[in-house]
Amino acid sequence: MSFRNRKVSKKDILMKSRVLLFISLSLVFFLTWSSIGWSLAPREEAETTAQYLATLLNVGRLIVDRNQTLINDPRKGDKGFTPEVFEHEVVNEFTRQTHMDLKHLPSHLPSLAKELLPLLLQSSKEVVADAQFVINQRGIGYKNFIPATFGSQAARKFSNRSHVKIKQTTLNPRNLKNTPDAYEENVLKRLAAQPASNTAIIEWIDNETTLRAVTPIYYSQDCLACHGSPKGILDISGYPREGAQEGDLAGAISVQIPVKSR
Amino acid sequence: MALYYRSSILNSMIIGGLIINVGSILRGAWYGLKEYGSQGILVFLVVLGFFLQGCGLVFDAVELVQPLARDEMSAICSRGQLRVGISVEPFRPFVFPAVFTDEGVRVTGLDVELIREVVDALTTYCDGQKPIVPTLHLTRFRDLFIELNEGHLDLFVSSIGGNIPGARPAGLWYSIPYFQNGGIGAMIRTPEVAEKIRTQFQKQPGSPDTLVAVQAGLSGLTVAAQRGRTSQLYVEANLKKIRLLLCDSLPAAIEMSDPPIDVIVSTHAILDYVTKHVWPDWRLLTRNDGTPLVLTQESFSVVTVEEHRRLQWFLNNLLYRLEESGRLEQMRRRWLEEDYAPTRRAAAEGLPFEVSKVPEHYDQGQCRFATGR
Repeated sequence: MSFRNRKVSKKDILMKSRVLLFISLSLVFFLTWSSIGWSLAPREEAETTAQYLATLLNVGRLIVDRNQTLINDPRKGDKGFTPEVFEHEVVNEFTRQTHMDLKHLPSHLPSLAKELLPLLLQSSKEVVADAQFVINQRGIGYKNFIPATFGSQAARKFSNRSHVKIKQTTLNPRNLKNTPDAYEENVLKRLAAQPASNTAIIEWIDNETTLRAVTPIYYSQDCLACHGSPKGILDISGYPREGAQEGDLAGAISVQIPVKSR
Repeated sequence: MALYYRSSILNSMIIGGLIINVGSILRGAWYGLKEYGSQGILVFLVVLGFFLQGCGLVFDAVELVQPLARDEMSAICSRGQLRVGISVEPFRPFVFPAVFTDEGVRVTGLDVELIREVVDALTTYCDGQKPIVPTLHLTRFRDLFIELNEGHLDLFVSSIGGNIPGARPAGLWYSIPYFQNGGIGAMIRTPEVAEKIRTQFQKQPGSPDTLVAVQAGLSGLTVAAQRGRTSQLYVEANLKKIRLLLCDSLPAAIEMSDPPIDVIVSTHAILDYVTKHVWPDWRLLTRNDGTPLVLTQESFSVVTVEEHRRLQWFLNNLLYRLEESGRLEQMRRRWLEEDYAPTRRAAAEGLPFEVSKVPEHYDQGQCRFATGR
């Protein structure tokens, strides 16, 4: 009996050591896998957020562009282009482009995007509110409330309130505050050399701690009144025209998200 | 500024001394009268009431002895702000319509550049420790005078002519001119009007008499002038045989179609700019040799209230220095002769303004026939 018992004990010990080895390996595997998972989550979150932010700023620019004739109408005083009307049109257009309602953001959306999209919408609305006096001047045609000036102000207001930086940039900026940094200049040159594509260029720099997302913007027919031909002739705002053609790279919306700062 | 601080300290000492003396007298009276019970307290309060009536006089006396501590220059220095009125009706190139820029809403023009010069000089005057910030109050032209009189503004600059009879309301002071190469001119839509004037000039033997030619040439025509501006004063005083329309702004006159306007009378430099850059359908009224027909000379001044002597001397001395150094001439050339885009200048050098002081929906207004002519 004692011999048998001794034999069983050896077997048990062997068994136990195998179980321990299995548990250890499982633990190591689980921990390794989960650590990869934890590091991926903020990256994906930042990348998704950057793309939505660029889309939202671009939608705001589009709404200003669509209302340009109304804004520049010298025969009308109160244009009715209020911050609320602007917001309504932005929400509709954003839904059309992304299938996502800005007023009821879906639960699966990254928390960073849930925090920042309303902030950018609010900043954009404030720019339209600030411009009400200019927009509603009667007897004055061109007021310089255009997609570019709207975008600059909205991006600046948003960036001042957030750790995320958003900016309009181009290789030959009219507004020197939109001058590209070294990274943006490099990406813009790459974009200018390749066929038009709406896909953003997304990269991690500074030892993977900072996300840079650059979403290209291309000239449409409407833009060419100021940016088209003949090159060098002053446009309505007093800047020399760029001589651009429809489909040329106009610039980009650049988003910069430092992940560690969160 | 050192004088300002010294006088502040002096004033504080005087007022402090007065308070201590009056306080000790009152304390003595209180303890004396308290002994007579409630009747004594009542007497004390009645006597105190009589004394309080004179408090304003005490402060006035202190102001008289040491006025420097409360003068308008010291007030501007301590506030760190210069409250400037500027007309919401555009008088290009002196004041352009407000535009939206990358920096926000801005106004620009020769008058705005002059304001920058004034605040730069004020910053130096106030020791330069903190820059004096111009707070622009964009308001309707007619309200500028009221706002200044009510003390809401330190001064206003809006291409205001100071040498036309009847142009200076009582209680306001006009600086030496910062712009004197102008005058009152006219613009027309059809060449027939110019022909009528030219015919009148041709009828004159010897040296031409502009007033006689204009009076005869414009007779029976519909002439518009901006309400409250010097052009209205000129037309009312000199052109009796016209149909006079008074308009709230120049854009209102341009838009007026019923009745159609034959002539718009306004500042020559403004008409020169707008016929070239804004309303090319209109042309300047000229003499037979093609030179612009200026109806009378006019010079522009900075306006402040009559009592602000120190500010007045400061402005006159500054304007004289700017003229002497050629800076004013450079500014005039920059805005009147150079080819430029006002929007771009607004973005680079325009000034923000108080949105709260601006009519919610600026309307260019309308035109009405002048009554009582």
